[in-house]
Amino acid sequence: MSDFLDRFGRGQSMCHRWPPFVKLFAAVAMILAATCAPITHGPLVGIVACVIFFAHTLARIPLRYVGRRLLFFWPTLFLMAISLPLSQAGQKGWLLFVTILVRGTLSFSTALWLVNVMPFDQLLATLRRLRVPDVLLAILSLMYRFLFVLWDELDRMRTARSARLFRKPSLWETWRSAAHLVGRLLIRALDRADRIHGAMLARSWNGRTRWIEPRREDQR
Amino acid sequence: MSESAVRVEHLSFRYPGGPDVLTDISFTIAPGEIIGLVGPSGAGKSTLLQHLNGLLPSKLPEFVGQVCIDNIPVARQTIAEVRRRVGFLFQDPDDQLFCPTVFEDVAFGPLNLGLSDDEVRQRVRDSLTSVGLADYEPRSTLRLSLGERKRVCLAGVFACQPSVLALDEPFSSLDPRARRKLIAILKQFSGSQIIATHDLDIVVDLCHQVLLLDGGQLRAAGQTRDILGNVALMERHGLEVPWRLRPK
Repeated sequence: MSDFLDRFGRGQSMCHRWPPFVKLFAAVAMILAATCAPITHGPLVGIVACVIFFAHTLARIPLRYVGRRLLFFWPTLFLMAISLPLSQAGQKGWLLFVTILVRGTLSFSTALWLVNVMPFDQLLATLRRLRVPDVLLAILSLMYRFLFVLWDELDRMRTARSARLFRKPSLWETWRSAAHLVGRLLIRALDRADRIHGAMLARSWNGRTRWIEPRREDQR
Repeated sequence: MSESAVRVEHLSFRYPGGPDVLTDISFTIAPGEIIGLVGPSGAGKSTLLQHLNGLLPSKLPEFVGQVCIDNIPVARQTIAEVRRRVGFLFQDPDDQLFCPTVFEDVAFGPLNLGLSDDEVRQRVRDSLTSVGLADYEPRSTLRLSLGERKRVCLAGVFACQPSVLALDEPFSSLDPRARRKLIAILKQFSGSQIIATHDLDIVVDLCHQVLLLDGGQLRAAGQTRDILGNVALMERHGLEVPWRLRPK
């Protein structure tokens, strides 16, 4: 589960060999292009999509892998976008709906490309050199570290639940037990956050975070 | 005042609104001594260990007594010095490994101690070598086995060069090989250690003295073989005499 988002992060393609700054700026440029291209200009949006598709091919990231991650992302995106046609009657609402879907998909694909051509620790180091605030980096770092730990925890709880299901549950029961799982996970996450804070304090953390690179010769 | 690495005097504690977790605990640990902290689940072992590192605030009205590390009382003013001297290993390595790479995680403590960059790098290298993970610096903390994660946690603790180790269930869920490696590493550490564990055979192997905690009270303290070999005492507190001390 830990490589769900960046399975190809330590590959050897041409894109992987680019300097970190180039990769980061390429991703930012692609996201800007995706979000700025007017949705009514089909060819322009198509060109941006082709560039992103080409970038994935160049980095040897299988499109099936990208597609599967998009399947996880689309329901959230859909829920966000559907509120617009419901609140704004007429064609304008639907145009906004399509705009959010297309831009969200292209931006997500680009972000996926970035974390698959640049391991997350390298991405954080690059952002640090660009003087992104420490608090933001610490949040990103902890989020990346514990997202998968919590996901694994959820997975274990789901398995434990399945092991005690002796018949196919009704839709109502499924939703009810899913709500219980999420509530339980939230409590566990809070407990874990408490323990992590304790572990940070135990190693003399005083609220400020300092970073260094492993070795000078490794700096790129 | 006699020299002691850890001195706990009449320590009582309860979480706000909860029942007593620790009641009138007193003991000392000499420099270089290894103490096993044993007792049934919920006896208060982890809470006691957290007091050694000042992780539970001593200013709460629920806190009574005194804890001293190298004759320094654990208090708000001394907390930084106490934490520099006490290395704490948490039961779940996922709680302790919060940085994306092994290097960053091991460097976390030394960086907080305000050491220079070169000193930090040296300490990271030395402590990873001491736990047998010399080439693990660039590895992601997400992609390590449980045994490796525990050893990286220990390297993070060693990197702060503590004089006392407080270890909470360090051997739980480890396979025999990982357990042997961890025991060998702990045997090499020259400072004092207090090890909370259910693995009593390892206590026999490692510890000079044992503290038996049950229901938040210190029920027995003494030589490892005297305490753990006492069948009646062990059974009274829900424990078993370890295999190595059972009569043939």
